[in-house]
Amino acid sequence: MEQTLKRRAGKSPRNWLPFWLILPTIVVLLAIQVYPAIYTIWLSLQKRTPQGWEYVGLDNFRRLFGMGLFDESVGHTIVFLVGYAGLTLILGFFIALLLNRNLRFSGLYITLLFIPWIIADIITGMVFRLLVVPDYGLLSGILQNPDIFPPNGLSILTAVRPPSWFGNFPFPPAPAMIYLILASSWRALPFITLLLLAAMQTVPHEIIESSRIDGANGRQIVRHIMIPLMLPTLVVALFSLTLSGMNGVGMVFSLTSGGPGTSTEVLSYLLYSIGWRQLNFGRAAALALLIAIINWLLIAGTLRVTRLQQRSE
Amino acid sequence: MKAKWPLLAILSLLVLVLAACAAPAAPAAPAAPAAGEEAAPAEQPAQEIDFVTWYQYDQNNTDPKSDERVGNAYLRKTIPEFNAAFEGKWNWVNQPKAFDKMNAELVAAVQSGGEVPDLFEMGTNWVNLFYQNGTLQDLRGWAEQQPWWKDLDPSAIAACTAPDGALLCIPMSERPHLVYVWKDRFPNGFPRTPEEFMKEAERLKQEGLYAITFFGSTDYDGEGLTRAIWTTIASWGGSLDDGQGNMKLDTPENIAAIEFLREIVQRGYVPEIAFAGKFQEEEAFKDASAASFPTGLFGYRYVNPLTAPDGTQYSKGNEEDMLDAIAAGDVILEPFVAPEGKKPGCGIEVNGFGIPVGAKHPEAAYDYINWLMEDIDRNAEFVLGPGGGFPALLTTRSHELFQQPFYQEAAKALSQSECRPWYGSLMRVAEAQSMVMQTVYRLIKEDPTLDIATELRKTQEEYNAGN
Amino acid sequence: MQRLSLPSWRTRESVLVNAAMILILIFAMLPIFTTILISFKGEKDIVRKPPNFFPCDTPDGRFDITQCRWTVEGYERVLAPKPADNSLLGFTLTGNMVRTYIPNSLTYASITSLAVVFLAGLSGYAFSRYRFRGHNFLMTGILAITGVPLLTNLLALYQMGTVLRKADLPFYNDRLFIITVYMGFFLPLSVWIAKGFFDAIPRELEEAALIDGCTPVGTLLRITMPLALPGLMAVFLLTFVNVWNEFIAGYLLISKNSLKPAMFGLYEFLGQNIINLQVIAAACILIALPMVILFLFARRSFFRAMVEGAVKG
Repeated sequence: MEQTLKRRAGKSPRNWLPFWLILPTIVVLLAIQVYPAIYTIWLSLQKRTPQGWEYVGLDNFRRLFGMGLFDESVGHTIVFLVGYAGLTLILGFFIALLLNRNLRFSGLYITLLFIPWIIADIITGMVFRLLVVPDYGLLSGILQNPDIFPPNGLSILTAVRPPSWFGNFPFPPAPAMIYLILASSWRALPFITLLLLAAMQTVPHEIIESSRIDGANGRQIVRHIMIPLMLPTLVVALFSLTLSGMNGVGMVFSLTSGGPGTSTEVLSYLLYSIGWRQLNFGRAAALALLIAIINWLLIAGTLRVTRLQQRSE
Repeated sequence: MKAKWPLLAILSLLVLVLAACAAPAAPAAPAAPAAGEEAAPAEQPAQEIDFVTWYQYDQNNTDPKSDERVGNAYLRKTIPEFNAAFEGKWNWVNQPKAFDKMNAELVAAVQSGGEVPDLFEMGTNWVNLFYQNGTLQDLRGWAEQQPWWKDLDPSAIAACTAPDGALLCIPMSERPHLVYVWKDRFPNGFPRTPEEFMKEAERLKQEGLYAITFFGSTDYDGEGLTRAIWTTIASWGGSLDDGQGNMKLDTPENIAAIEFLREIVQRGYVPEIAFAGKFQEEEAFKDASAASFPTGLFGYRYVNPLTAPDGTQYSKGNEEDMLDAIAAGDVILEPFVAPEGKKPGCGIEVNGFGIPVGAKHPEAAYDYINWLMEDIDRNAEFVLGPGGGFPALLTTRSHELFQQPFYQEAAKALSQSECRPWYGSLMRVAEAQSMVMQTVYRLIKEDPTLDIATELRKTQEEYNAGN
Repeated sequence: MQRLSLPSWRTRESVLVNAAMILILIFAMLPIFTTILISFKGEKDIVRKPPNFFPCDTPDGRFDITQCRWTVEGYERVLAPKPADNSLLGFTLTGNMVRTYIPNSLTYASITSLAVVFLAGLSGYAFSRYRFRGHNFLMTGILAITGVPLLTNLLALYQMGTVLRKADLPFYNDRLFIITVYMGFFLPLSVWIAKGFFDAIPRELEEAALIDGCTPVGTLLRITMPLALPGLMAVFLLTFVNVWNEFIAGYLLISKNSLKPAMFGLYEFLGQNIINLQVIAAACILIALPMVILFLFARRSFFRAMVEGAVKG
């Protein structure tokens, strides 16, 4: 880039300006984002010995794939992401539909609805944990009542997962996983709702009116007009949810710590445990690279969709 | 657009003011009189040098009901005492650390050549991992010269010793595990054998009570393994390694021990809260709904307030509650149950001080250790406070503080059992701890139909693949 | 927020929609409401088994509003007020949380956001107004580097912090380091958002100013920046909240108590006993409250930044 600018700088001094404007940002990003990324690649090929770092090739990856917990975490991550993104999108779409009507108090509704988004994930986890602390949480009083959940009542944070339907794949999930999904969705819902509402409001009024005159009912309008027109935004929302779900660790950290047992152990939390609890930095870096590749695919997908959208505009 | 200007202006101003206020306010805070932490060097006489320690306690936390109040108060009291004793030489600066993070942080700090303390308060569970990562200095040469060396319990020294013979810590107190028991819940006495235990447990279940609570969750990276799980395995004569650094789990003893745990969990003798994590298993013992609680000797500091089966309240809300309950005879200390012909086992961790590689002023740490070792009162005060166990220094055991009923009871229980550390020859203790605990949890709580031997074998193979 | 007006909706339906919204709001507010409830309970009511929602029952089990045992014990324990003669209110707050952690968070959040606004403003302007070779590559690159999981970036950043500290550079201190790290985390998205805002400002204004003899920098400062200010304000607020709510980087990078941010301080309460549930609740509320207030006052800005960030990025 520098060379390009230099070449152009000969023609007009003005062309130096963008370079100087961007430079500080690039410097910060090189230091805080790019360098660590490169370091991670290097680290994924190393092992710590008492003498220092030792090159071990792809051993960290082999070891990672050999972990029973890794396979399990992949399953949990898929269950979590499907539940989290699915639930948030459906609820968000539904609430956006409601808000899209000309309600007198929409402004107030949106504001109040939005408060969960402003609350940190670690606080959200703690708040949801307070509700279901076994024996003492406010909801535990109801859930642990054997009359409501026979035979012994349901203690969300300690209940074991039901027997799996598909071999090793953790479905149906443990109650704690469902609760984790609920808590995560609770926090992400406002953002998704707002995003979908904004997209909904760009659906031209005339199309809806004319199809209504043609005799389309509400469900048909949503299915055949709104959803196709909002598709790019829906995809963006889906990717953004997947990204945040894939990488967020604060909620698991404060709500379940991966438990009970390993039933909420997702990849991001596994990365935390391997790296920062067991100090196995090499193996953690290997896992981080895998997560990074998934992230990049998601980001590339988002960009493609938004590009397409911009081109069609 | 215009209407927003005032709001914007006010907000920006507010933020600037906040930023301006916050910046000087924050560094000023630790300089408050009570704070021992990071006082600005300019405030001290030039020749005084900072002696930096990492404790899991925070001298600035004055919350009277904080979980770590005992240790917090201890530091608050002794920091000025030490500084007075070494005036002009050392200025003790303690940096409080989260207990579940400090080991990892120290390893990472030494690895990256970062700032390390001169003295590190530690337990011996991680000694092998510290050894493997080259985290701590060998103190043997220095320690053997000291007058108190001969007075140290040899088993405590062994716990501080790395596989190559280096002494990685100076032992201060020994924290064996035993069983806290509500006496009235067992009119025939605490059972000795698993069979007796089952009978008593069934009786208690009929009364709507639980026989036992313990750290059963996989929380804190499998911390539960080091407590009741290991105590059980040890009582059945089991072990987790083959003596050569390999994990060896599928022994008949281990399988039998896990079968016992599975049985008491599946039959409903253990309350659900035992699996909630965050040390919440203690709650079931506090209100006497669970009749016994195998945990570390140090548990007395945390398990309060208490309500006895007969309704007696011990509600000072500090460590004295448990001591009072024991003195009153409501709580007794017992060895764990063991099968016929086996001696009850128990876990033991030694608490002490390490000096990290790269420490700036190891002489300050030497002075500090001597300061605590040479005065029996001060030594006793430490062991009773942050130490939470039996003195590693044998003469301190005759100190009057250790003649109270609690320690006599504990000594009695321990004389009937055989304590050894859980990790044996395993090196990657953090990894092993979390793997084994997760497997045990799956076997005893989650899926009682799984074959114990198969699962144990899978776990040991996964661990040994990394050797 | 512009709204569709659909006057044909009947009132009955509007009542239904409003009722549905209110129901949703009740669910959304429930965790917050219960946390507030818990934070005002005393120890005696916290350790009740089974729990009761309101600490208002009489010994014979009736609900009596006059018997409520509300206390501020939880808040007292977090704030630890001590009587002091020279203080305005007659006492000073001595809890670590108010004395150290919250001021730290304020410092980190405000300085980081100011710096992010400045840098993102400059580069967002450059990306919006200039076409140079590598333009798209850099824009995509800035987004792509956010794909590396934060948790492993921290491995490298931890070592970087160590090296920098030892190098004994002038001006360097640990606060500066953590602020730079936060800048690196939140710059990429901010650049994208800022570019979107600049795109929305008509070029004609600047061109007119240039023709009138303004220098490019003068135009930027006098014409474009003021117009972009609401957008930059949005970036500021978004970054402020993000830094305030960030937990894992602070937790892993900061090693001194005197430097801890509020979220890390909150962690001290995470493993506490049941008798301290009201303290946890109070701490959560004290830390979340400033952000909620900020949001309520500046919600339009937040909505703007978020929709911009999600759709464009």
